[in-house]
Amino acid sequence: MDPVGFAYLGGGLSIGLGALGTGVGMGIMVGKTVEGMARQPEVSGLLRTTMIIGIAFIEALALYALVISFLLIFK
Amino acid sequence: MEKIDLLEHLQPHIYIPLKIGNIDISITNAVIMMWIACILVFLTLFLAGRAGRLVPKGLQNLMESIVSYLRTNLIYETIGEKGMAWFPFIATLFFFILFCNLLGLIPKGFTATSNINVTASLAIVVFLCTQGAGIYKHGPFGYLKKFIPKGVPLWIIPLMLPIEIISQFAKPFSLAVRLFANMTAGHLVILVFLSMIIMFKSVIVTPLPLAMAVVMMAFEIFVALIQAFIFSILASMYIAEAVHAEH
Repeated sequence: MDPVGFAYLGGGLSIGLGALGTGVGMGIMVGKTVEGMARQPEVSGLLRTTMIIGIAFIEALALYALVISFLLIFK
Repeated sequence: MEKIDLLEHLQPHIYIPLKIGNIDISITNAVIMMWIACILVFLTLFLAGRAGRLVPKGLQNLMESIVSYLRTNLIYETIGEKGMAWFPFIATLFFFILFCNLLGLIPKGFTATSNINVTASLAIVVFLCTQGAGIYKHGPFGYLKKFIPKGVPLWIIPLMLPIEIISQFAKPFSLAVRLFANMTAGHLVILVFLSMIIMFKSVIVTPLPLAMAVVMMAFEIFVALIQAFIFSILASMYIAEAVHAEH
Protein backbone atom coordinates (compact mmCIF):
# COMPACT_ATOMS: atom_id res chain seq x y z
CA MET A 1 0.00 0.00 0.00
CA ASP A 2 1.06 3.54 -0.76
CA PRO A 3 1.83 5.62 2.36
CA VAL A 4 0.77 8.81 0.51
CA GLY A 5 -2.71 7.34 0.13
CA PHE A 6 -2.89 6.81 3.88
CA ALA A 7 -1.88 10.44 4.38
CA TYR A 8 -4.80 11.59 2.22
CA LEU A 9 -7.14 9.23 4.08
CA GLY A 10 -5.88 10.53 7.41
CA GLY A 11 -6.31 14.11 6.30
CA GLY A 12 -9.89 13.55 5.24
CA LEU A 13 -10.76 11.61 8.40
CA SER A 14 -9.09 14.24 10.58
CA ILE A 15 -11.26 17.15 9.47
CA GLY A 16 -14.34 14.96 9.07
CA LEU A 17 -14.30 13.53 12.59
CA GLY A 18 -13.11 16.84 14.01
CA ALA A 19 -16.02 18.68 12.44
CA LEU A 20 -18.47 16.01 13.67
CA GLY A 21 -17.83 16.62 17.34
CA THR A 22 -17.53 20.37 16.93
CA GLY A 23 -20.81 20.50 15.04
CA VAL A 24 -22.64 18.64 17.79
CA GLY A 25 -21.10 20.89 20.43
CA MET A 26 -21.94 24.08 18.59
CA GLY A 27 -25.48 22.91 17.91
CA ILE A 28 -26.11 22.24 21.59
CA MET A 29 -24.57 25.56 22.53
CA VAL A 30 -26.52 27.71 20.05
CA GLY A 31 -29.72 25.85 20.88
CA LYS A 32 -29.31 26.52 24.59
CA THR A 33 -28.53 30.17 23.90
CA VAL A 34 -31.70 30.56 21.82
CA GLU A 35 -33.66 28.92 24.64
CA GLY A 36 -32.19 31.39 27.10
CA MET A 37 -32.94 34.29 24.78
CA ALA A 38 -36.54 33.17 24.32
CA ARG A 39 -37.02 32.88 28.05
CA GLN A 40 -35.33 36.15 28.93
CA PRO A 41 -35.12 38.50 25.93
CA GLU A 42 -33.71 41.30 28.08
CA VAL A 43 -30.33 39.55 28.53
CA SER A 44 -30.02 38.56 24.86
CA GLY A 45 -27.14 40.98 24.26
CA LEU A 46 -25.02 39.43 27.00
CA LEU A 47 -25.97 35.91 25.87
CA ARG A 48 -24.98 36.68 22.29
CA THR A 49 -21.52 37.93 23.24
CA THR A 50 -20.93 34.96 25.51
CA MET A 51 -22.12 32.60 22.79
CA ILE A 52 -19.72 34.11 20.24
CA ILE A 53 -16.79 33.69 22.65
CA GLY A 54 -17.82 30.10 23.35
CA ILE A 55 -18.15 29.40 19.64
CA ALA A 56 -14.61 30.70 19.16
CA PHE A 57 -13.32 28.20 21.71
CA ILE A 58 -15.25 25.26 20.25
CA GLU A 59 -14.39 26.22 16.71
CA ALA A 60 -10.69 26.23 17.55
CA LEU A 61 -10.87 22.43 17.98
CA ALA A 62 -12.18 21.94 14.44
CA LEU A 63 -9.54 24.33 13.15
CA TYR A 64 -6.77 22.32 14.79
CA ALA A 65 -8.09 19.29 12.93
CA LEU A 66 -8.15 21.35 9.74
CA VAL A 67 -4.52 22.38 10.18
CA ILE A 68 -3.54 18.74 10.73
CA SER A 69 -5.37 17.71 7.58
CA PHE A 70 -3.64 20.50 5.62
CA LEU A 71 -0.31 19.20 6.88
CA LEU A 72 -1.19 15.64 5.86
CA ILE A 73 -2.60 16.47 2.42
CA PHE A 74 -0.17 19.13 1.19
CA LYS A 75 2.94 17.28 2.32
CA MET B 1 -9.65 15.91 -14.90
CA GLU B 2 -6.78 18.26 -14.44
CA LYS B 3 -4.74 18.48 -11.28
CA ILE B 4 -4.42 21.99 -9.86
CA ASP B 5 -2.03 23.01 -7.15
CA LEU B 6 -4.32 24.78 -4.69
CA LEU B 7 -1.61 25.63 -2.23
CA GLU B 8 0.19 27.81 -4.75
CA HIS B 9 -2.41 30.57 -4.28
CA LEU B 10 -1.78 30.71 -0.55
CA GLN B 11 1.98 31.05 -0.80
CA PRO B 12 3.23 34.61 -0.49
CA HIS B 13 4.87 35.93 -3.64
CA ILE B 14 8.19 37.61 -3.01
CA TYR B 15 8.59 40.94 -4.81
CA ILE B 16 11.80 42.29 -3.30
CA PRO B 17 14.03 39.71 -1.56
CA LEU B 18 15.63 41.18 1.55
CA LYS B 19 17.70 39.52 4.23
CA ILE B 20 19.28 40.67 7.47
CA GLY B 21 21.58 37.93 8.71
CA ASN B 22 19.48 34.81 8.78
CA ILE B 23 16.18 36.64 9.06
CA ASP B 24 14.11 36.84 5.91
CA ILE B 25 12.38 40.22 5.66
CA SER B 26 11.47 40.08 1.98
CA ILE B 27 8.72 42.35 0.72
CA THR B 28 5.95 39.89 -0.15
CA ASN B 29 2.38 40.55 -1.20
CA ALA B 30 1.30 39.92 2.41
CA VAL B 31 3.51 42.82 3.53
CA ILE B 32 2.11 45.08 0.81
CA MET B 33 -1.47 44.14 1.73
CA MET B 34 -0.72 45.00 5.35
CA TRP B 35 0.61 48.40 4.31
CA ILE B 36 -2.54 48.97 2.26
CA ALA B 37 -4.65 47.90 5.25
CA CYS B 38 -2.77 50.35 7.50
CA ILE B 39 -3.32 53.22 5.06
CA LEU B 40 -7.00 52.34 4.62
CA VAL B 41 -7.63 52.11 8.37
CA PHE B 42 -5.92 55.46 8.88
CA LEU B 43 -7.81 57.15 6.03
CA THR B 44 -11.21 55.76 7.03
CA LEU B 45 -10.93 56.69 10.67
CA PHE B 46 -9.24 60.03 9.94
CA LEU B 47 -11.91 61.07 7.44
CA ALA B 48 -14.64 59.86 9.80
CA GLY B 49 -13.25 61.73 12.78
CA ARG B 50 -12.21 64.93 11.00
CA ALA B 51 -15.70 66.36 10.54
CA GLY B 52 -16.48 66.04 14.25
CA ARG B 53 -20.14 66.93 13.88
CA LEU B 54 -22.25 66.82 17.00
CA VAL B 55 -24.98 65.02 15.07
CA PRO B 56 -22.98 62.44 13.07
CA LYS B 57 -23.71 61.79 9.42
CA GLY B 58 -22.52 59.25 6.85
CA LEU B 59 -19.09 57.75 7.52
CA GLN B 60 -18.80 59.39 10.92
CA ASN B 61 -22.09 57.82 11.92
CA LEU B 62 -20.92 54.33 10.91
CA MET B 63 -17.55 54.60 12.63
CA GLU B 64 -19.01 56.11 15.80
CA SER B 65 -21.47 53.27 16.14
CA ILE B 66 -18.72 50.67 15.58
CA VAL B 67 -16.39 52.34 18.08
CA SER B 68 -19.07 52.68 20.73
CA TYR B 69 -20.10 49.04 20.22
CA LEU B 70 -16.47 47.98 20.65
CA ARG B 71 -16.12 50.14 23.75
CA THR B 72 -19.13 48.60 25.46
CA ASN B 73 -18.44 45.01 24.49
CA LEU B 74 -14.65 44.83 24.53
CA ILE B 75 -13.75 47.13 27.41
CA TYR B 76 -16.65 47.86 29.77
CA GLU B 77 -17.88 44.28 29.93
CA THR B 78 -14.45 42.64 30.29
CA ILE B 79 -11.80 44.87 31.86
CA GLY B 80 -14.23 47.46 33.23
CA GLU B 81 -14.15 51.25 33.37
CA LYS B 82 -10.45 51.34 34.25
CA GLY B 83 -9.60 49.43 31.09
CA MET B 84 -10.13 52.40 28.81
CA ALA B 85 -6.33 52.75 28.62
CA TRP B 86 -6.38 49.51 26.62
CA PHE B 87 -9.07 50.67 24.23
CA PRO B 88 -6.74 52.18 21.56
CA PHE B 89 -4.76 48.93 21.39
CA ILE B 90 -7.81 46.66 21.21
CA ALA B 91 -9.61 48.85 18.67
CA THR B 92 -6.48 49.07 16.51
CA LEU B 93 -6.23 45.27 16.54
CA PHE B 94 -9.90 45.03 15.51
CA PHE B 95 -9.71 47.49 12.63
CA PHE B 96 -6.37 46.19 11.33
CA ILE B 97 -7.50 42.56 11.31
CA LEU B 98 -10.88 43.51 9.82
CA PHE B 99 -9.28 45.39 6.93
CA CYS B 100 -6.68 42.64 6.35
CA ASN B 101 -9.48 40.05 6.21
CA LEU B 102 -11.68 42.09 3.89
CA LEU B 103 -8.84 43.01 1.51
CA GLY B 104 -8.40 39.33 0.69
CA LEU B 105 -11.89 39.19 -0.79
CA ILE B 106 -11.04 41.75 -3.46
CA PRO B 107 -9.80 40.14 -6.69
CA LYS B 108 -5.99 40.17 -7.01
CA GLY B 109 -5.86 40.78 -3.29
CA PHE B 110 -4.15 38.60 -0.73
CA THR B 111 -5.29 37.96 2.82
CA ALA B 112 -2.37 38.90 5.02
CA THR B 113 -4.07 37.12 7.93
CA SER B 114 -4.07 33.81 6.04
CA ASN B 115 -0.32 33.73 6.64
CA ILE B 116 0.64 32.13 9.97
CA ASN B 117 3.56 34.55 10.43
CA VAL B 118 1.23 37.57 10.48
CA THR B 119 -1.25 36.07 12.94
CA ALA B 120 1.56 34.73 15.13
CA SER B 121 3.13 38.19 15.36
CA LEU B 122 -0.23 39.70 16.34
CA ALA B 123 -0.70 36.98 18.96
CA ILE B 124 2.80 37.55 20.36
CA VAL B 125 2.04 41.26 20.76
CA VAL B 126 -1.14 40.33 22.65
CA PHE B 127 0.83 37.85 24.80
CA LEU B 128 3.44 40.47 25.73
CA CYS B 129 0.72 42.99 26.55
CA THR B 130 -1.10 40.46 28.73
CA GLN B 131 1.99 39.54 30.74
CA GLY B 132 3.12 43.16 30.92
CA ALA B 133 -0.26 44.28 32.20
CA GLY B 134 -0.27 41.56 34.86
CA ILE B 135 3.25 42.31 36.05
CA TYR B 136 2.63 46.08 36.05
CA LYS B 137 -0.51 45.65 38.12
CA HIS B 138 0.61 43.04 40.67
CA GLY B 139 4.41 43.21 40.59
CA PRO B 140 6.55 40.25 39.43
CA PHE B 141 5.97 38.13 42.55
CA GLY B 142 2.37 39.06 43.00
CA TYR B 143 1.73 38.06 39.41
CA LEU B 144 3.43 34.68 39.91
CA LYS B 145 1.31 34.15 43.03
CA LYS B 146 -1.81 34.57 40.87
CA PHE B 147 -0.98 31.29 39.12
CA ILE B 148 -1.81 29.44 42.34
CA PRO B 149 -5.51 29.83 43.16
CA LYS B 150 -6.37 30.45 46.80
CA GLY B 151 -7.34 27.50 48.99
CA VAL B 152 -5.81 24.63 47.03
CA PRO B 153 -4.11 21.84 48.98
CA LEU B 154 -0.32 22.09 49.14
CA TRP B 155 0.37 18.82 47.33
CA ILE B 156 -1.56 19.90 44.25
CA ILE B 157 0.54 23.05 43.66
CA PRO B 158 3.39 21.30 41.75
CA LEU B 159 0.68 19.91 39.47
CA MET B 160 -1.23 23.18 39.15
CA LEU B 161 1.67 25.53 38.41
CA PRO B 162 2.95 23.93 35.17
CA ILE B 163 -0.59 23.66 33.83
CA GLU B 164 -1.27 27.33 34.55
CA ILE B 165 2.01 28.39 32.92
CA ILE B 166 1.40 26.22 29.84
CA SER B 167 -2.09 27.66 29.50
CA GLN B 168 -0.53 31.14 29.36
CA PHE B 169 1.43 30.03 26.29
CA ALA B 170 -1.48 28.13 24.78
CA LYS B 171 -3.59 31.30 24.61
CA PRO B 172 -1.54 33.17 21.99
CA PHE B 173 -1.06 29.91 20.08
CA SER B 174 -4.79 29.33 19.81
CA LEU B 175 -5.33 33.01 18.88
CA ALA B 176 -2.84 32.72 16.02
CA VAL B 177 -4.08 29.37 14.73
CA ARG B 178 -7.76 30.39 14.94
CA LEU B 179 -7.36 33.47 12.76
CA PHE B 180 -4.98 31.77 10.34
CA ALA B 181 -7.08 28.64 9.86
CA ASN B 182 -10.36 30.54 9.51
CA MET B 183 -9.02 32.79 6.80
CA THR B 184 -7.18 30.01 4.97
CA ALA B 185 -10.14 27.62 5.07
CA GLY B 186 -12.62 30.20 3.81
CA HIS B 187 -10.46 31.17 0.88
CA LEU B 188 -9.64 27.56 0.07
CA VAL B 189 -13.35 26.73 -0.14
CA ILE B 190 -13.96 29.56 -2.63
CA LEU B 191 -10.88 28.44 -4.55
CA VAL B 192 -12.05 24.82 -4.66
CA PHE B 193 -15.47 25.87 -5.98
CA LEU B 194 -13.95 28.03 -8.71
CA SER B 195 -11.33 25.48 -9.70
CA MET B 196 -14.13 22.95 -10.24
CA ILE B 197 -14.93 24.87 -13.45
CA ILE B 198 -11.39 24.35 -14.70
CA MET B 199 -11.30 20.75 -13.53
CA PHE B 200 -14.44 19.64 -15.37
CA LYS B 201 -13.70 21.65 -18.53
CA SER B 202 -17.39 22.05 -19.29
CA VAL B 203 -19.75 25.02 -19.62
CA ILE B 204 -22.72 23.08 -18.23
CA VAL B 205 -21.35 22.85 -14.67
CA THR B 206 -20.29 26.52 -14.57
CA PRO B 207 -23.40 28.10 -12.94
CA LEU B 208 -23.39 25.85 -9.88
CA PRO B 209 -19.82 26.49 -8.66
CA LEU B 210 -20.25 30.19 -9.44
CA ALA B 211 -23.43 30.39 -7.36
CA MET B 212 -21.73 28.52 -4.51
CA ALA B 213 -18.72 30.83 -4.73
CA VAL B 214 -21.01 33.87 -4.44
CA VAL B 215 -22.68 32.38 -1.37
CA MET B 216 -19.31 31.58 0.19
CA MET B 217 -18.09 35.13 -0.55
CA ALA B 218 -21.06 36.56 1.36
CA PHE B 219 -20.33 34.16 4.21
CA GLU B 220 -16.66 35.18 4.16
CA ILE B 221 -17.56 38.85 4.73
CA PHE B 222 -19.44 37.71 7.85
CA VAL B 223 -16.52 35.51 8.94
CA ALA B 224 -14.06 38.38 8.45
CA LEU B 225 -16.12 40.56 10.79
CA ILE B 226 -16.64 37.82 13.38
CA GLN B 227 -12.99 36.78 13.43
CA ALA B 228 -11.77 40.35 13.88
CA PHE B 229 -14.25 40.73 16.75
CA ILE B 230 -13.28 37.42 18.34
CA PHE B 231 -9.57 38.16 18.15
CA SER B 232 -9.99 41.52 19.86
CA ILE B 233 -12.50 40.33 22.48
CA LEU B 234 -10.24 37.41 23.42
CA ALA B 235 -7.26 39.77 23.64
CA SER B 236 -9.16 42.03 26.02
CA MET B 237 -10.40 39.05 28.03
CA TYR B 238 -6.84 37.79 28.48
CA ILE B 239 -5.74 41.24 29.59
CA ALA B 240 -8.70 41.43 31.97
CA GLU B 241 -7.80 38.04 33.43
CA ALA B 242 -4.21 39.14 34.04
CA VAL B 243 -5.19 42.47 35.57
CA HIS B 244 -8.01 41.39 37.86
CA ALA B 245 -7.09 40.72 41.44
CA GLU B 246 -8.65 37.37 42.27
CA HIS B 247 -8.77 34.32 40.09
